[in-house]
Amino acid sequence: MARKTECYVDTSALIAFLDRSDSYHPLFRQLFSEPPPMIMSALVVAEGHGWFLRRYDSRRALQFLTFLEVLPSLTIRMFDAGELAKTGRVVKKFADQGLTLADAHGLAIVAEHKIPICWSTDRHLALTGARLVI
Amino acid sequence: MIRTQISLDAHEYHLVKEEAHSLGISVAEYVRRAIRANLPPPGQGPWMKYAGLVESGNVRSSQSIDEIVYGTKD
Repeated sequence: MARKTECYVDTSALIAFLDRSDSYHPLFRQLFSEPPPMIMSALVVAEGHGWFLRRYDSRRALQFLTFLEVLPSLTIRMFDAGELAKTGRVVKKFADQGLTLADAHGLAIVAEHKIPICWSTDRHLALTGARLVI
Repeated sequence: MIRTQISLDAHEYHLVKEEAHSLGISVAEYVRRAIRANLPPPGQGPWMKYAGLVESGNVRSSQSIDEIVYGTKD
């Protein structure tokens, strides 16, 4: 039987792992060395790709995509009309927090799957009670 | 060691030869080092070779993603 999804991974966790300058790099290096079943929003993929494209170049952005392709135990949740409706409700609920759509979709996924842990350095991901690893 | 053969174009070969010479190592050793640098660390999965892929110089890199991706308000 497949293991239950244990954690939600957001863009900040990926950048902390990939950028050795980040103060949380050692923590995420250790966490990703033995990854549990993970889930992330397709918007996280777009956000991470955009970060590499804007901060570096298309070569680095492609390497980011290749990294995700080889990362095991990862489920990427698509973002369709149904997800937009759920995510919109989260955005409205936390309208004062300035959530990005990627953050809000993450919170919707966490709530739906009752995921207890978020791999994130972004406090927004703890808004619904999930524990951040930092 | 296992002996193998690789083909390089002339331009790359000259660059490799110059770099190897400047480091005081053979072309073969230079190629071995380049291969090692691109392989995942021993005993770890292939995704671990991406750990520390970049060095932005920003210790708050993971906490300032929105500024990079979405920009800042005027």
